[in-house]
Amino acid sequence: MKRKLFPVAALALVFVLSGACLPHLRKAKQFYAEGQDQARVFRTEAAVASWKRAVDEAERECHRKPSAQAFTIKGLAETNLGRWREAEASFLKAFSLGFEPGEAWASDAALTGLAASFEELDLEAPALRIYAQLLDKSAFKPVLMTAAEKRTNLVLARALSSDPEEKARTLTALLKTLDRLLDRDFACGLYHYLHAQVDGHIGDLRRSYEEAVIARELGLPSEKISRDNDNQLIFCYDKLKETLPAAESKAFASAHSGWTKKWGWRDARTPAWKKE
Amino acid sequence: MSKKGVEAALVRGVDILNEFLPLKSWLYFPVLYSACVWAVRRVFDYRERVLAWQVWLDPEFVRTKPDEFVLHFFSGDEALGREYADELARGDLRTLRAAFPALYPIFGLEDAFLKALFKTEIESADYRGIVVEFAARTAKARDDIQPAASNPDFWKAVELFGMEAASLGLHLIKDEEVQNMIIALVKKPVGISPAIPPDA
Repeated sequence: MKRKLFPVAALALVFVLSGACLPHLRKAKQFYAEGQDQARVFRTEAAVASWKRAVDEAERECHRKPSAQAFTIKGLAETNLGRWREAEASFLKAFSLGFEPGEAWASDAALTGLAASFEELDLEAPALRIYAQLLDKSAFKPVLMTAAEKRTNLVLARALSSDPEEKARTLTALLKTLDRLLDRDFACGLYHYLHAQVDGHIGDLRRSYEEAVIARELGLPSEKISRDNDNQLIFCYDKLKETLPAAESKAFASAHSGWTKKWGWRDARTPAWKKE
Repeated sequence: MSKKGVEAALVRGVDILNEFLPLKSWLYFPVLYSACVWAVRRVFDYRERVLAWQVWLDPEFVRTKPDEFVLHFFSGDEALGREYADELARGDLRTLRAAFPALYPIFGLEDAFLKALFKTEIESADYRGIVVEFAARTAKARDDIQPAASNPDFWKAVELFGMEAASLGLHLIKDEEVQNMIIALVKKPVGISPAIPPDA
């Protein structure tokens, strides 16, 4: 019996040891990738847990065998966790070890952290300036997405209390910024969602509807945004149906019905997540 | 499906919360109910899901909606449209915009925790009551749940409860029935209305 068990135990031991000896860098990459996958399907908590584990593993690798790759993975995971200061330090280390874009990423992470601090202190003007600068200059997608969302929200809040002329000017400028972002990265669902929101404010509901459809198809970063995007679709659908000429309205309703069927809505106005 | 089994799981859920949130029985119903909602959907990242209501209070998100969207929200919902018919008729956007940040996360985004937190008002169609209570009650919920929410054991226990209830056929019981089962259980030991916090 003991003889029979020995090979099994030995095999199990080899398996366990090989797992324990897996390089920390490989584990860090694996956890980071898992986090990205989980975030895509709105499993935020699981994603956060994976990114935290990625940071731990990368940190171990950085102690054992510092490399640009290990510090970059660590910085990326910290960025996703909103730990801007730590991300800045990691990217700087990665730069010093030969990762060329590390310096720019570090500076972008530092600025995003600073803007967030200004916002927390209700200092909107400097926060807006920093976000605008990041949107113009940064090439680092996580920073760009954060800056785009924050700046859009701050500008929309301001526009609400402005006179109509000022509001139109502000929103037109904001749309230009979002158009530039879309030129650079058309596949980012969040930019389309933000565009749809601003289009809604200026009354361009046809464009708002189209942007919200694209946003839904490309995917959005959180469930709350996804639900709000669905509500924007319903709002635009109702309004367009009222205002479009009869023939166009019919064609539009038919197209909308095609989309909603694809998305599994119960009817033209009821997404699957809504209570009956 | 075993209805008794689900009820037994809910009893254990109440026990768990009693351990982690002593004397905060008004929070049991929203936490248990939102855990049930996510369990049925087989989504097991409870901490994030149950606490999502805090994110949905985000003023940035809710306060920047255009007037037309706010009007559409109120007129598009039958019950809200009835309640705010006067304001809608005279285009009183000041009142509607003031009510929107409280009502949109509940009726527009359908947050399970907030729906449970204001169940009494929703059932009695006291929408204006929600608006009046919203800030104080959500702030109190945030403060009261904080010590338990930062304890990983609490979330593990909630997850176990949710998985157990789901495995016993929770999804086959009507939503309303699950709510009533939880309310009956929560009411038993403490004898206060579950959805209303003290001093709210």
